[in-house]
Amino acid sequence: MGQRIVVDPITRIEGHLRIEAEIKDGIIVDAYSSGTMVRGIELILKGRDPRDAWAFTERVCGVCTTVHALASVRTVENALKITIPPNAELIRNLMFCTQYMQDHVVHFYHLHALDWVDVVSALKANPAATSALAQSISSWPRSSPGYFSDVQKRVAKFVESGQLGIFANGYWGHSAYKLPPEANLMAVAHYLEALEWQKEIVKVHTIFGGKNPHPNYLVGGVPCAINIEESNALNAERLAYVGTLLAQAKDFINQVYIPDLLAVASFYKSDWGAIGGGISNYLAYGDLPTNGYEDVSSFKFPRGIIMNRNLSEVIPVDGTDPDQIQEQIAHSYYDYSDGDKGSKHPWEGETKLNYTGPKPPYESLNVSEKYSWLKTPRWKGHAMEVGPLSRMLVGYASGKDEYKEVIHYALQKLDVPVTALFSTLGRTAARGLESVLVAKWSTEFYDQLLANIKNGDTRTFVADKWDPETWPSEAKGVGMTEAPRGALAHWIRIKDKLIDNYQLVVPSTWNASPRDQNGNLSAYEAALIGTPIADPENPLEILRTIHSFDPCLACAVH
Amino acid sequence: MSTKKPTIYEEVRAAGYSRRDFLKFCGTMAAMLGLEASGVAQVAKALETNSRIPVLWMHFQECTCCSESFIRSSHPIVADILLDKISLDYSETLMAAAGHQAEKSLRDTMEKYHGKYLMLVEGSIPTGNEGYCCIGGRSAESIAKEVAAGAKAIVAWGNCASAGCVQAADPNPTGAKPIHKVITGKPIINVQGCPPIAEVMAGVIVHLLTFDRIPQLDGLGRPKAFYSRRVHDTCYRRPNYDAGLFVQSFDDENARRGYCLYKMGCRGPNTYNSCGVIKWNNGVSFPIQSGHPCIGCSEANFWDNGPFYQHLQSFPGFGIEDTADKIGVGLGVVTGVGIAAHAISTNIRKHKQIVEGQEESNDENI
Amino acid sequence: MKNSAKKPVISERYVWELPVRFYHWINALCIVVLCVTGYLIGRPPAIQSASEASFSYWFGTVRFIHFIAAFVFFFNFVYRTYWGFVGNKYARWYNFIPYKKSQWKEILCVLKVDILQITNKRFSTVGHNNLAAFTYFLTFLAFAFQSLTGFGLYAAMSNSFFPQLFAWIIPILGGDFMARQIHHILMWFFILFAMVHVYLVFYHDYIERTGVTSSMIGGWKFVEDDKEDTK
Ligand code: HEM
Ligand code: HEM
Ligand code: NFV
Ligand code: SF4
Ligand code: SF4
Ligand code: F3S
Ligand SMILES: [Mg+2]
Repeated sequence: MGQRIVVDPITRIEGHLRIEAEIKDGIIVDAYSSGTMVRGIELILKGRDPRDAWAFTERVCGVCTTVHALASVRTVENALKITIPPNAELIRNLMFCTQYMQDHVVHFYHLHALDWVDVVSALKANPAATSALAQSISSWPRSSPGYFSDVQKRVAKFVESGQLGIFANGYWGHSAYKLPPEANLMAVAHYLEALEWQKEIVKVHTIFGGKNPHPNYLVGGVPCAINIEESNALNAERLAYVGTLLAQAKDFINQVYIPDLLAVASFYKSDWGAIGGGISNYLAYGDLPTNGYEDVSSFKFPRGIIMNRNLSEVIPVDGTDPDQIQEQIAHSYYDYSDGDKGSKHPWEGETKLNYTGPKPPYESLNVSEKYSWLKTPRWKGHAMEVGPLSRMLVGYASGKDEYKEVIHYALQKLDVPVTALFSTLGRTAARGLESVLVAKWSTEFYDQLLANIKNGDTRTFVADKWDPETWPSEAKGVGMTEAPRGALAHWIRIKDKLIDNYQLVVPSTWNASPRDQNGNLSAYEAALIGTPIADPENPLEILRTIHSFDPCLACAVH
Repeated sequence: MSTKKPTIYEEVRAAGYSRRDFLKFCGTMAAMLGLEASGVAQVAKALETNSRIPVLWMHFQECTCCSESFIRSSHPIVADILLDKISLDYSETLMAAAGHQAEKSLRDTMEKYHGKYLMLVEGSIPTGNEGYCCIGGRSAESIAKEVAAGAKAIVAWGNCASAGCVQAADPNPTGAKPIHKVITGKPIINVQGCPPIAEVMAGVIVHLLTFDRIPQLDGLGRPKAFYSRRVHDTCYRRPNYDAGLFVQSFDDENARRGYCLYKMGCRGPNTYNSCGVIKWNNGVSFPIQSGHPCIGCSEANFWDNGPFYQHLQSFPGFGIEDTADKIGVGLGVVTGVGIAAHAISTNIRKHKQIVEGQEESNDENI
Repeated sequence: MKNSAKKPVISERYVWELPVRFYHWINALCIVVLCVTGYLIGRPPAIQSASEASFSYWFGTVRFIHFIAAFVFFFNFVYRTYWGFVGNKYARWYNFIPYKKSQWKEILCVLKVDILQITNKRFSTVGHNNLAAFTYFLTFLAFAFQSLTGFGLYAAMSNSFFPQLFAWIIPILGGDFMARQIHHILMWFFILFAMVHVYLVFYHDYIERTGVTSSMIGGWKFVEDDKEDTK
């Protein structure tokens, strides 16, 4: 028997995640991932107006805010056979891209960077050398020695105050930190800059959806009307505002995020390019339609599955097939009406809470029984990894040039083989690379929107199925999207104008779920196995791999 | 040690902002807090002399959008103050430490600053079963009670902590409760909204830092500075309301002219928030400006006031669309029919009496 | 049966004093106005007009009328409450609250005679019969609640001290939304009440020939002399 370590709370994530790991000879040999908070949103949705569901599900998560709203309106539109106007699709795409850019940058700098960057070491940096480093990798203007010196003084002052705030009790000085002080200082400066920048890009949501977090969506289109002759609607000023924000975002991603990402990766590639690969199946539902949501072939993010890391084949996936996507609860705190063994397609899904874990306060979970609030999703019985890496791999394997370009660029720059993608570092890199694509696409969508308006098409909503009187007495639908953290879908059953059943299967549910009824591990647990732990008291390495997935537990459990 | 600590003003200067920037910020803050011009000096003085107050930001049943909203706080200097000038000693979203180290950060502050720290709460507390929300193997309720015991004041962020929010919506499967239903004997400020506006969150913190006292609260515990007016009363579409110009359907002619969204179910007339004044994300827009009716997100139980796209609630037990008016009209018809039936029956069953009565009056008329 | 036995002697009796009559008609008028304007506030009609908002204020006017009528209605009601303590015996509060066994008996009797019409027996109240009185009592409660919710809502739109006296009701109800919901539902209570009430008034005249209808105008009712006041 090895040594059992517990990390709870896992911080710098969304939500309440607990990891228990068995360590033997400095290596993790077994791991358990547990979501420790539940709200029961699926139960709350029953009996409500399907047109309201987006608002409820959006509140599943404020970090990936919007994606559940998007999945929800699509689900209802799918059930009621509504096709939204092209402008509405473009505006949804722009909000989608905005979400990616903000979420990925915040993840990299504010949630993930401190796993790689030693803030305290930044104090030892030479500002002039930092400036030289920064200028060698990017043309970003804020890079003078004076700038870095100011940042350094500010950090020094902060540390001297004795009140370390969010940096207190970090793993500073841990042997697994490898960046030189200059790189650390550069990263700290960009931590602060990114904090400023992220609140700018979300203004795209504010313009189209009225606020962020939690902008407004609408079944049948988008709520904002276009009228270039009116100060009360989307007009030239509003659209120009969006254009400026998108341009700034593109600059930030290309000139700050990506250079920093590659710089950090170059110091960690030799080990972390081979650690944390985990399961070898990748699933993406795809998104960013360019010819309507019904036309999957038009998606910028293609839909498909890669099995066993075989990049020469992309297998199709069908959300409506009762035998493909299913959820199990053998290790989850739920009851199924026909017993705990069994897999249910979400249209037949059940959510009955039944906590059978240890009574708090507890030291350890009973991992041989139920140990998490996440259900365990499976595709034809297989565990799947979802997220940026899956999207990039499916895009790459689908033979799309844009994907090949960015992936080859990164692999070349870091001088690593394609197999380095199947790792903790690969996951983190994929997130950055897709941000580059998304930033580029967002300007395409923007131009298309302007072109439509110029051609006189200002429609943003279809009203014909708005009135519940026009609905069939029974309908069911599925709405799929790619959330920043991966494949997301909602399933609905509508009966007599009300929600009869509503089920969410969320990216972090796929990745962070407990093992299935046959004992097969899901992505987090599998990825941890084999990870070296230098100091069990300070398990920094666990955070690295877990953070590479960008966990969201409020999403995962809901 | 505390005398050596730099004040917020010193830190701001050290961060490269001028005194002018600083005073400008104080002015904005004072205006947001609804202070007179003399208040600016008060804000400036307080920020110049107080040092960083330890803050413990607790997460329970939530979606983290309150944290997300908070980091959107826009006047750059506010982001700096809130991330650097308070001492955010515990925040599961942002803190470097995890696991035992994170718990140590929490304990350290609770011990060292007992009675002096601020407790900020994001999320509701489940009371149905302790297992519904655990952190570090302990239940949300026990953690909340322990941290609250040494807190100087509690700020309940957002609808979750103030009113239970979405997870407390019917049938409230986890027995989710707002913080004021679980903690007693401490001043609690309900900073409502789902989420609250970033600058409102910042404004409340600055109020506490500056004046070292609880802001004036309304009947539902919300700071009056930000929640004393209805969205409706500060909505720029209001002239359309008064003129009776309403959007009839999304994206109709009227929607494109920016008419009032009342008939699309707008909750602005029943909702107290600063959306029309401060607006969102540094004054860019707010829900109504972007064409969607207010859903009332700063009101307790707004989730159960639905459906959102109709003016009043549906009747429980009837379908959607069945509002008081439909049922009222129905009852009116039933009543009318009842009256008619009664009148007919009267003429039959009381025939004799009626005839007698007529005879009597005929007699009298003679 | 009694009524066929002998011819009763009829005399006139002064039942409704002038203040009650005034109250009644002001109240009736206010309620009609409040229901119409209230309904419009809740469900404004679709006016498809290309006009600019600044040219028109009709919806604001509707609300304004509602608030004016509300004040008249409220003080009229306060006044009637006072008269319930000082007015004649027919106006007194004790008539309205069924606290005596005999009152409940009469309610039952009225139900049988007038509503279900299972018997033709006559009963003998001069003022309100006890069922009517009890209904009015419920109506008075509804008046009170409508005023509470109405002025509670109004408090947020007014700087005057008076509506502020009602502001406390809103947090108790959990917010404006619930207050409006209740306020709106109560409108239907008044509409239904008015329908039944007006019908029954005419019905009694038709059956009993006591001049109820005109009594609210002139104050006098015709009463058979052998009838005892139950009060
Ligand atoms: C029999 C008496 C009354 C009736 C039938 C009545 C009816 C109504 C109705 C149906 C509404 C619309 C509610 C909605 O759907 O949102 C309304 C609104 C309102 N009523 Fe009354 N009401 C009465 C008395 C009062 C009184 C005494 C007040 C006191 C000031 C009052 C103040 C209000 C206010 C403030 C509103 C909201 C108006 C707005 O937000 O624009 N009402 N009333
Ligand atoms: C054509 C219209 C109406 C007529 C002829 C009428 C007549 C009368 C009569 C005769 C009474 C005395 C009833 C009795 O002896 O039991 C009465 C009482 C009353 N009516 Fe009406 N009514 C009319 C409309 C209304 C309306 C619209 C309302 C308001 C909803 C109303 C509210 C009341 C109330 C509250 C009383 C009790 C009065 C008191 O004791 O102060 N009436 N009405
Ligand atoms: N997992 C997850 Fe989400 C995302 N991305 C949603 O679908 O984070 Ni809150
Ligand atoms: S109040 Fe709303 S926004 Fe804030 S945590 Fe709760 S659900 Fe999220
Ligand atoms: S849009 Fe809403 S808040 Fe604005 S005036 Fe109309 S009803 Fe009021
Ligand atoms: S929905 Fe919320 S954000 Fe403001 S406009 Fe309404 S209170
Ligand atoms: Mg689910």
